[in-house]
Amino acid sequence: MSVNHLNRGPQDIGGEHAGAVDPIDHGMKFWERQANALRSVLQRNKVLRTDELRRAAEDLGERYSKLQYFEITTSALRTILLEKGLITEHELTARMDAVRERFNVPDEMESPVKKGTAR
Amino acid sequence: MSDNRIDYYAAKKHAHDHGDHDHTPLDEHDDGGAPSEYEIMSRAMQELLEEKGIITAEQVRRRMEQFEEEFPYRGSRVVAKAWVDPQFRKRLLDDGKAACAEMGVDLEVDRLIAVENTPEVHNIIVCTLCSCYPRALLGMPPTWYKSRNYRSRVVFEPRAVLKEFGTELPEHVTVRVHDSNADMRYVVIPMRPEGTTDWNEEQLAEILTRDTLVGVTVPRVKT
Amino acid sequence: MTFASSKSAPRAQPSTYAPAPGHRFNVGDPVVVLRRFPPGHRRTPYYIRGKSGTIERICGAFRNPEELAYGFDGEPRKVLYRVRFLQKDVWPDYRGPAKDIIEMEIYEHWLAPAPGDMGVPHQNPG
Repeated sequence: MSVNHLNRGPQDIGGEHAGAVDPIDHGMKFWERQANALRSVLQRNKVLRTDELRRAAEDLGERYSKLQYFEITTSALRTILLEKGLITEHELTARMDAVRERFNVPDEMESPVKKGTAR
Repeated sequence: MSDNRIDYYAAKKHAHDHGDHDHTPLDEHDDGGAPSEYEIMSRAMQELLEEKGIITAEQVRRRMEQFEEEFPYRGSRVVAKAWVDPQFRKRLLDDGKAACAEMGVDLEVDRLIAVENTPEVHNIIVCTLCSCYPRALLGMPPTWYKSRNYRSRVVFEPRAVLKEFGTELPEHVTVRVHDSNADMRYVVIPMRPEGTTDWNEEQLAEILTRDTLVGVTVPRVKT
Repeated sequence: MTFASSKSAPRAQPSTYAPAPGHRFNVGDPVVVLRRFPPGHRRTPYYIRGKSGTIERICGAFRNPEELAYGFDGEPRKVLYRVRFLQKDVWPDYRGPAKDIIEMEIYEHWLAPAPGDMGVPHQNPG
């Protein structure tokens, strides 16, 4: 892919051809409800703004279309928290290791995030 | 119903703090799998923000409860009232946020635009750029509202998408699509079906499902 | 009966409760969405750029999301309009009836008077 001169973001999909809509609501997993509430509280507390999260989501580029909705919003939240200096990369990595250990996640589950190849 | 789930993390943390490492299966994962990296990230961010005093666990917990137990039931109540009270309907159309506030509903957004279906016009809402949605009025958007297929297609083939929801509109009805792309939020006031003349607001709210308030379906009376 | 003359047509009144001082366009004005492709966070969908429609209502003045997205305060506020487009003007191969419409919110700095409109400043109806 060369430079996108039209600067059309990955979120800007209105008018694209796509498949049939699945009219069933598949609900939300527990962690998605937690992630949603966390985002919402941060907005309510005026820690960050919706437009900042949107921008961070759009900046995911090609990853945007590969991730699910709450994966996108969680990535975006991470970006904004780091950007605002509210948490540091080091703190987050360490805490994720601690959470992972608490959840007893096997080594093969280690993610691109932990390995530093994802944003 | 959800109390034990909301408590899960607290309980788990408690167990951890007390050195309980029995590695019991993780029952909060709906699909039974291990937590995803994003789940771990989200939880880690919450913990760090709590420790820094930026948020409290109680705020997050309360917010989850609101999203599950309060928000999803507001929209149908508001629109049912608009069905039975013409003055309220007018106020809802004039200033949706203020009308909701009359009912004690804080929409937490700048503006709500209510749009009414008529025998000549059918309204349908989408947000192509993200998933803007009046969450404090309707709860979280359903899976399809956030889907690529819905967001991409409704704007240029609304009638085909409506058919996928089982809604077929005659040619003489104008389809009016709203791309909720900036600061407004939207709710559809559907047409009140025949056979509901003597229904009270509670009964009417029953048929004002979320899908009818987004405009992908229309309220129906079971016969 | 045309949509615009229908008794049940959507209201198209300027907002009385979200002031938009100094707004450039009025309800019913023909406008064209700028055909520009700047980088950065924009709330004007790609598919509507360069398309012509009419002002459906004036929503008020809001902090500029293109600034808010980068952590600035979004001041000065920008006037936000709802613009109505005929589907056939947006999608040349639109398959539905010619009167089907699509509406969305467009900030003033993304709008220009449509060809034919001389761009004469309108009297503010107050």
